[in-house]
Amino acid sequence: MGEYLVFHDVAWHATYAIYFFVIGIVAGLSFLSYASWHLPALRPLREKSAYVSFALLVVGGLLLIADLSQPMRFLNMLNPAYLNFSSPLAWGALNLVAYGIASVLYLLMMLWKKDEKNGKMLALVTALLALGLPIYTGFDLTVHQHRPVWNTPVIPLLFVALAFSTGSAVGALMSANNAEAQQVLRQFMLWSAGAVVVILIAIMGTTSYGGSAEELTFMLMTSGTMGLLFVGVGFLAGSLAPVVMLFAPTGKSISVILVSALLILLGSAAVRYVILMAPQQVQTLF
Amino acid sequence: MSEELRVSSIETRGVPGKRRYAMVIDTRRCIGCMACQVACKAEYDTPLGVNRTWVPYKVTGKYPNVKKHFLPRLCNHCDDPPCVRNCPVEATFKVDDGGFVLQRYERCIGCRSCMAACPYNARFMLPSHRTYTPITNVVDKCTFCFHRVTQNLVPACVQTCVGRARVFGDLNDPNSEVSYLVAHNPTQVLRPEQGTKPHVFYIGADRNHTEYGRDVYRRIEVMESERAAWKKHFDL
Ligand code: SF4
Ligand code: SF4
Repeated sequence: MGEYLVFHDVAWHATYAIYFFVIGIVAGLSFLSYASWHLPALRPLREKSAYVSFALLVVGGLLLIADLSQPMRFLNMLNPAYLNFSSPLAWGALNLVAYGIASVLYLLMMLWKKDEKNGKMLALVTALLALGLPIYTGFDLTVHQHRPVWNTPVIPLLFVALAFSTGSAVGALMSANNAEAQQVLRQFMLWSAGAVVVILIAIMGTTSYGGSAEELTFMLMTSGTMGLLFVGVGFLAGSLAPVVMLFAPTGKSISVILVSALLILLGSAAVRYVILMAPQQVQTLF
Repeated sequence: MSEELRVSSIETRGVPGKRRYAMVIDTRRCIGCMACQVACKAEYDTPLGVNRTWVPYKVTGKYPNVKKHFLPRLCNHCDDPPCVRNCPVEATFKVDDGGFVLQRYERCIGCRSCMAACPYNARFMLPSHRTYTPITNVVDKCTFCFHRVTQNLVPACVQTCVGRARVFGDLNDPNSEVSYLVAHNPTQVLRPEQGTKPHVFYIGADRNHTEYGRDVYRRIEVMESERAAWKKHFDL
């Protein structure tokens, strides 16, 4: 049997994967900054992570805008007369703006006014809004009912877990010589990367039992270059290996923690790339 | 015992005073001449590499008993369109009377959410350079020839179809040709499981030819050379 199809382009290109990666770190660092109000070991990270997350937010925002084919019209997303609340992107835009405002206020309170009480409250608000970032990016994919893998309710959870793990990994790299902070971040990375492992297994399990589109997607995600990236880099090297390394008796050594952090960052980039692109490849065959 | 047909608020099925345009494509009559595709290109100056309507085919059987199955494709102008739900700025919308799903080019931000949401690949991004029109860099798709239909003409593809495989009309009108065809023939829609309630109905479209094959590990012989040539030509 032969078939002829016209060539269809995918909807979203790899730049979105970079955006997802960056925004995940933004959220993860906000969680760390908030956690520093409760865990003294993380205190040295409070300002640093707030700064870095804000800088990355700017980078992420620019990436997102540059990826629109009409970049200047991003303002349409903020126009109440245009907003369509059934679109997760509309909620995402509002979430991003609210998060941006909250993090500016947080930085001002904390650094200029040194206002401890309001600082702690704003840290909480910022962290809650930060939680919305991986959730909304997950929903961006989940709502597309006809796409295998995307259309699973665990994608937002996966993105939250990835935000935790990558945020903690960046935190670990930023506080490389602080042994106390490293131990807390080790716990964070261990549990969040563990969650990523469980969710990835769940996703692949359900996908392999699905219909023909799911089967095709499963095949794409587990073979060839995508397979190498997803199973090899994303799952084995970037999620399972760090969990095993951090859990092992040697897991408390700083060098193991730092290597795990690097692997987690690499793995999360690969996972995001494949989860974004593979389910779209199948669609181009329809 | 009777119960009213439950429809979502956006649907126009059976709504009095509202038209519900639909196309019936009789695949038994399609000869794969692609005249519809050409007529559409001429009507809209659709750029190279993208199509508002297209005619893919599958070849089945073994030589000498082979058969080509054509499946003319276009936007289904779904009664419950996921592209409309997903557009963050309502740049794509459904026309209440008629059910056309249309684009507001001047509002579209080019986020491609609608492309991701459409289960039928009906949408595409316009390139940045075009010859006769300033409409560039926004998402476009079939309009069911809104500008023609509102002037009592049929869509360009229907007008030109040599096999009379494409028929267009109002499904809410029981006397229309499309109503007759849908009432008297078994019809299929693409991907009914998506709940989009398409307004393009096929006659004689075998489910095996409208879906991915189940036997996915055996590579289908997609015309890779053509696809590769397209990709190369458009630097994709
Ligand atoms: S076929 Fe696709 S583009 Fe057309 S109305 Fe349905 S979902 Fe929208
Ligand atoms: S690309 Fe344009 S029409 Fe499509 S969802 Fe984005 S803004 Fe709406």
